[in-house]
Amino acid sequence: MTDTRRASAPSRRRMLKAAASATALAALPFPAIVRAQSGPLNIGVLLPVSGVQALIGQSCKLGVDIAPAVLPELGYSAPIKVLFADTETNVDVARSRAEKLIADGANVLVGPFDSGAAGAIAQVAEQKGVPFVINIAAAPQITEQGYKFVFRNFPTSVDLVRNGLALMRDLFQATNTALRTCVFMHVNDTFGQANRKAIDAILPTLNYLPFRVVETISYDPAAKDLSVEVAKAKATNADFLMLVCRLNDAILLRREMVKQRWNPMGIIGPGNPGMYEAQFYKALGKLSDYCISNVPWYNPKSPVTAKVEAAFTKAFPQDKLMYHALNVGFTFEAIMVAADAYKRAGSTAGKALADAIRATDIAQRMMIGGPIKFNAKGQVEGIASAAIQNFDQQPKVVLPAAAAQAKPVFPQPEYKR
Amino acid sequence: MATGAGRQTARAALALGGLFVVLLVLPAFANPYVLSAAILVLYFAYVGQAWNLMMGFAGQLSLGHSLYVGLGAYASAALFVHYGISPWIGLVAAVAVSLAAGAVIGFLAFRFGIGGVYFALLTIAFAEFTRIGFDHFDWVGGSGGFFLPVKEHGVTDLANLRGPPVMFYYIALAMAAGAFLAAWRLRASRIGYYWLAIRENEDAAQALGINTFRYKMLAILFSSAMTALAGVFFAFYYNNLFPEQIFSMARSIEIILGPIIGGLGTLFGPVLGAFVLTFLGDGLTEVTDAFGIQIPGLKQVFYGVALLVVVVFVPNGIWPALARRLGFGPAKKGE
Repeated sequence: MTDTRRASAPSRRRMLKAAASATALAALPFPAIVRAQSGPLNIGVLLPVSGVQALIGQSCKLGVDIAPAVLPELGYSAPIKVLFADTETNVDVARSRAEKLIADGANVLVGPFDSGAAGAIAQVAEQKGVPFVINIAAAPQITEQGYKFVFRNFPTSVDLVRNGLALMRDLFQATNTALRTCVFMHVNDTFGQANRKAIDAILPTLNYLPFRVVETISYDPAAKDLSVEVAKAKATNADFLMLVCRLNDAILLRREMVKQRWNPMGIIGPGNPGMYEAQFYKALGKLSDYCISNVPWYNPKSPVTAKVEAAFTKAFPQDKLMYHALNVGFTFEAIMVAADAYKRAGSTAGKALADAIRATDIAQRMMIGGPIKFNAKGQVEGIASAAIQNFDQQPKVVLPAAAAQAKPVFPQPEYKR
Repeated sequence: MATGAGRQTARAALALGGLFVVLLVLPAFANPYVLSAAILVLYFAYVGQAWNLMMGFAGQLSLGHSLYVGLGAYASAALFVHYGISPWIGLVAAVAVSLAAGAVIGFLAFRFGIGGVYFALLTIAFAEFTRIGFDHFDWVGGSGGFFLPVKEHGVTDLANLRGPPVMFYYIALAMAAGAFLAAWRLRASRIGYYWLAIRENEDAAQALGINTFRYKMLAILFSSAMTALAGVFFAFYYNNLFPEQIFSMARSIEIILGPIIGGLGTLFGPVLGAFVLTFLGDGLTEVTDAFGIQIPGLKQVFYGVALLVVVVFVPNGIWPALARRLGFGPAKKGE
């Protein structure tokens, strides 16, 4: 009995040998960093497809999945290879996965839908001399660090709000309305607080906006009941509701508004998600209609969008691009920026690619705004927002007029049972 | 018997020395990814060791250790950004702030007899309301994040903790080794024995004349001070801080997983746990990637399964069982 156990159980020496071998194996260099001067462009994509931000990360990834099929149609015929890594909505993981992708031969990094993760990846990219194209992350400081290899094709949080507020003026002009008062409600998390600060700073400087904020009400992002907050907002008798929200609280709040029979002239988001997402329509049905979100959006009339939409429908027949507009749009464009740089640089060397990205000038783009051009800090300039209004449980561009799919309806019709 | 025990100790010391040498030379062989994963292992080994002082030695369950990481990180980062104060000096402020927080929590809990689950809830509550407070603390960027300037690329500036990953690797190694030695010394001291007595039976310890309030306070103070140092490391390694990330419950859980899986109350458990969770978690991702399978959240499932397996089959953690196999000593709890 004892002998059998001795024979089958690992001896101490065997265990030590195994441990030593494992340690030695772990210490061995992984495949060396390959920096080929030709061949496919290895694009390392970092997105949070698990963890708290999983839903959005997975939405962004759809843009990655269709990119290899669409890019050749846009004239980027050089082969690309996507190396994907999940950041797990965790800064530590984002940094180590960036290292891993570069060790595996990534020539350029794309991602990661999060300012914290972007900050961590940016340092790795800078140290290794590998260009990093940020798809979505709004913290202004990321491109204020003097980085030479970091580029962002997304507006900063300040620009997001400024564009969103400017669109309110366009909306009021287009609908011949004059609003005097507004109640501002916002979710009390990182994003909501950043928006509030930007609004507090920018709104007083915009003389062309005719309204004043009569009350600011914040609420917990995990709130299960917003009846008190909505009652408080209703009591202000404000003309409209300016709402900085996320998805779940947006659903909760809209329901509560109906319950309390509060019918302001409209609900306008100055630069936030929540009211144009598939789940918002599914959960609320008709109640989702007429809500307005002023956000960066794809240009439905752009030929690039047509090609992306065709590829998207082919790859994901059960889904619709409109429900992933911002996520897919900016992620696809980030990959397009990398492919475009590769086409011009003719090299996968980090510096050559970074120099080429710095000289980017892509006129034919998917998102609304001017051509993709980066300033000296690596920040894109000229991204505009669009006013998106919900009609028949679908988001439609109502402003700017050049990209509009429908005319804005404002004030919104009152809710009827 | 004494000779056998002495031999075991010598063998363990030799193995530990060997491991330290391997870790010392690792940067010469490891690629940047392995190095970055090794930094994570050492970081979690360090904070795990700090947490282990409270739970493993003194038996006080803290589920809000992210509080001390966050306070340490913000204190040193704010002094550096706003006044240009070196993190080595900022470290003193970081430790002081965390000590103060630990003292308040400890006093409230231990003076008024709050223990067990209620103590754990109290630690969570402090971490949570500190997070909310920092969301509104504009001096350190509030919820929009606090960014440390990163301008000197490729320069090693140890005085300001600006430099390449290798520098941070050696700092993390020094921290982990220091924490190991500190824990070893503490456990072998009178304080350590009193902690073990409190952990095993607080009433009995009190009956024997141990001032349990005092020694539990010492546990939380030691632990919070050590964890603050991890916060300083975090701030200068990642260079950006967000209240939602650094004070989050998830970060507290990350801290405690290593010691629980490695071996609660043991010296080497936090190190082993950190290694298992980081390298095996990443290894699992590598293996699935190699087969072209990408399953989001697989690593989290692995963590859950690992915890389940440890709790069911080796409730004292992996290290005591492994130590017995390796002949490093008796596998009793606390050894």
